[in-house]
Amino acid sequence: MKLTKLLVVALCTSLFISCSDDDDKTNDPKGVYDNGVFILNEGNSSGGSVSFLSDDQSTFTANVYSTVNGNDYIGTYLQHIFFDGDKAYIIAGGSNVINVVNRYTFQLLAKIESGLKTPRYGVVKDGKAYVTNANTYAYANPETGDTDDFIAVIDLKTNKVESTIPLNGTANRIELANNKLYVSEPYSSDAIIVVNPNTNQVESRIAIGYDADTMEEEDGILYVMRSPYGNRSEIVKIKLADNSISKVTLGASLDGAKNLDIENDVIYFTVNTGVYQMNRTATTAPTTPVFEYTSTSDYGKMYGFAVNDGRIYIADGGDFASNSKAYIYSLNGTLEKELTVGVGPNGFYFN
Amino acid sequence: MTAKKYILLLVLFVSQLILAQHDSINRLQEVLVSDRNLQQFSESQTILQFNDSTLTQNEALLTDLLNFNSTLYFKEYGRGMLSTVAFRGTTASQTAVIWNGININSQMNGSTDFNTISGADFNSVSVKAGGGSVIYGSGAIGGSVHLNTDLAFGNRFENQLKIDYGSFNTQGIHYKTNYTTQKWSTQVGFSRNSSTNDYDYIGRYNWKGEPLWNQNGEYEIIGFNANLAYQLNETNLLQFYSQTSNTDRNTSLVSPTETKSKYVNGFNRNLVSYTGNFNGLTTNLKMAYITEDYHYFPEIESPNYTYGKTTSWISKADLGYHITKNFNLNGIVDYTKTKGYGSGFGDHSRDITSVALLTKQQITDRWQTEYGIRKEFTTNYKSPVLFSVGSTVGFGNFYHLKINLSRNFRIPTFNDLYWEEGGNPDLKPENSYQAEIGNVFSFKKISLTQTFYYYKIDDLLRWVPANNGIWAPQNTDKVNSYGTETLLNWNTHFGENHISCNATYAYTVSENRETKKQLFFVPYHKTTASIAYGYKKAAITYQFLYNGMVFTQSDNDPSKIVPAYTVSNIGIDYDLKFLNTFKIGFQVLNLWNSAYESLENRPMPGRNYNLYLNLKF
Repeated sequence: MKLTKLLVVALCTSLFISCSDDDDKTNDPKGVYDNGVFILNEGNSSGGSVSFLSDDQSTFTANVYSTVNGNDYIGTYLQHIFFDGDKAYIIAGGSNVINVVNRYTFQLLAKIESGLKTPRYGVVKDGKAYVTNANTYAYANPETGDTDDFIAVIDLKTNKVESTIPLNGTANRIELANNKLYVSEPYSSDAIIVVNPNTNQVESRIAIGYDADTMEEEDGILYVMRSPYGNRSEIVKIKLADNSISKVTLGASLDGAKNLDIENDVIYFTVNTGVYQMNRTATTAPTTPVFEYTSTSDYGKMYGFAVNDGRIYIADGGDFASNSKAYIYSLNGTLEKELTVGVGPNGFYFN
Repeated sequence: MTAKKYILLLVLFVSQLILAQHDSINRLQEVLVSDRNLQQFSESQTILQFNDSTLTQNEALLTDLLNFNSTLYFKEYGRGMLSTVAFRGTTASQTAVIWNGININSQMNGSTDFNTISGADFNSVSVKAGGGSVIYGSGAIGGSVHLNTDLAFGNRFENQLKIDYGSFNTQGIHYKTNYTTQKWSTQVGFSRNSSTNDYDYIGRYNWKGEPLWNQNGEYEIIGFNANLAYQLNETNLLQFYSQTSNTDRNTSLVSPTETKSKYVNGFNRNLVSYTGNFNGLTTNLKMAYITEDYHYFPEIESPNYTYGKTTSWISKADLGYHITKNFNLNGIVDYTKTKGYGSGFGDHSRDITSVALLTKQQITDRWQTEYGIRKEFTTNYKSPVLFSVGSTVGFGNFYHLKINLSRNFRIPTFNDLYWEEGGNPDLKPENSYQAEIGNVFSFKKISLTQTFYYYKIDDLLRWVPANNGIWAPQNTDKVNSYGTETLLNWNTHFGENHISCNATYAYTVSENRETKKQLFFVPYHKTTASIAYGYKKAAITYQFLYNGMVFTQSDNDPSKIVPAYTVSNIGIDYDLKFLNTFKIGFQVLNLWNSAYESLENRPMPGRNYNLYLNLKF
């Protein structure tokens, strides 16, 4: 049994090597999973999965990781995928693991298995990954649960955590912009934490209020969606040159707005089952959705959302105990594709 | 077990199947049962009883005993870890666990973890299939498991000591002493079970090809109990039962990189009972004080923990009256005050008063009926009127027909009502109407029980994601559960050869009425079998378990299952005949080294061994 496993690993490795050899020589797809979108399914306590749909929507694989890597355990509560070169990094938050796979073949290459503590999201800069870690939570650790979050700095050559950046706050999403790292957290943080990756120090905290979650940078401005419970949502615009703040306040019917995504100078976001859009420079918010989709899920509405290349991708969390759905719409709301993916789909990653 | 002591009490109550070996000494004594209603008002249902010798012959923790000998399905988070039950396709909190007549399911999560109970702490364990809320209250839907301390009078002084040592540094020690006179009966016991529990996962390797093993699976369970009965005079009897236990367990890891956590939980139970018999009127007054608590350490190295604790005062008056020779009437009033506090659900209390009426009528020699009705009064939720109707008819000596109809419920727990955040104070109890027909065939030394049942369960509680990312319980699901149970028992002896065969089979369909899907973690098929052969002072036992495939997702995705598995154990023992009993035994567990699990990524151990010494003096 053990020998067989080793052979599989050896085979995988050789496949990977041959693939990367091919990379430089041809313009053909670099692997089965080139030119398409991965749908990350966070899964339940027994583990998550990754689904794949090709760009031409002709090929769909419900569970790419298992298809390629057999019964290797990907981990629980898959949170995020980030890319670097020809590699994809799959964060399993419940297992303190990042699975490193070839992004085109999905062959497992390595695992980052130490130095992580409830890892959440990651970005890459200059061969290093910066991954937020929630560490302990305040419900169990009232003293330091809300201040012990950190960024793990991972050397992607060795796949080892080489240092950590304590944040003295809570951390979740992370963006790289302006050569700096911007960290938000939607429950216990009232600021965007700015980290300088050259010094690995927290540089400043931009106080924008609690409940800030999704963000994206465009043209030197960081757009952050904030949606305080029972209060008006707002899109906060941080000018990165001087950290000055302006904002667009959304109407009361848009309370609970989330999933900010900017594509071609248009800001997309969601409220309940509706998709909204507004010009990036607009100073007033829309009041009617472009379209809505149907969901029976209480909490899992718009559990994953992305806009890419003229299409809108929606993942529905369903009941979190069975395979759920992902939908692909045109920008004007025509349903193009409906997919049955895994449990708790929470994100789309374009390859 | 020496051959001489194999005794089958096939027909104690005609309709009940007793599956056990019974000490001949005990048989001659009148046993003081702590829970009279179990025998009096449950004759139209099937009860499977395991006595002393069976309890000490099986593995220490109750999960193993019941898994290998009954139709109950268990879901274990690895060996010795959290173990929950599904009985007749119901949920973990729809099987009531009853200690000496008192319902002891957790007030916090509604269920009982069968790996925190050491079977040898009790004199008998009974499994009653079917509804029992009229007598036992919340959770007796799928059935109930009864943990009983049986006391007896008579001049005796007996000690029993059992010592186990097995693979993975598994150790068990159990000691029980009985001192009884004509008026007094005392029983004091102590048990400790522990294991390093670091078994290899058969055929499982990590991505580097290194073998995987059970990490962070250590456990230790300590129990102490003291019990007392005093016969004041012909008519007045006092009984006292006390039990305390602490379980200290790490939680085994699914993958070695997970954060190591541990869970410590304990309970303390005290019960005083007075029984008076006055010319056909029986008075039973009970007062119980029960506490349970847990501490969860999300990180082993850190002193931080979350906790919960509940305390319950239970007062119960049970008056029985023989109106005529063939007509019994029992009225029961009880009052329970439960306080709960913890890091998850604040500080709350609830008061429940209930009134129940039970009757039993012997219509003819061969035909009897039982009726029961119960209503609870509480401010915390709306409580339905519960009922139970049952009838037993004998046709000759070889066939009995049993019919039972009942309405049962499961009340919301402290977690369901008050969890912060998400607790839903507006929950209704889960509600079940159920019917069953049992056919009992007795032929010479063979007994066969075949039961068909049908349940209609509404307002099933499930924690679902609600507003703002918080999970909250809702009365969402509607389930139909139906199936069949077969129990077969054959005991015989010729000369100094003794043979005992037992088998069970359960076919279970538990279907969500809206989606038409089987509930996850309910197997369609489960079967157990055991055969014991004794010759003079030696005995050999073989146990077999087949557990059918279960779905792990509510959509019944065929690729998301826990596959079917079979496990077998074999054991031999020999009585060296020092003292009263000086038995040395050896068991091979999972004899065929099957790689199995009852929950995904929670492998159970391969072939492993246990050596034991069982002394009575």
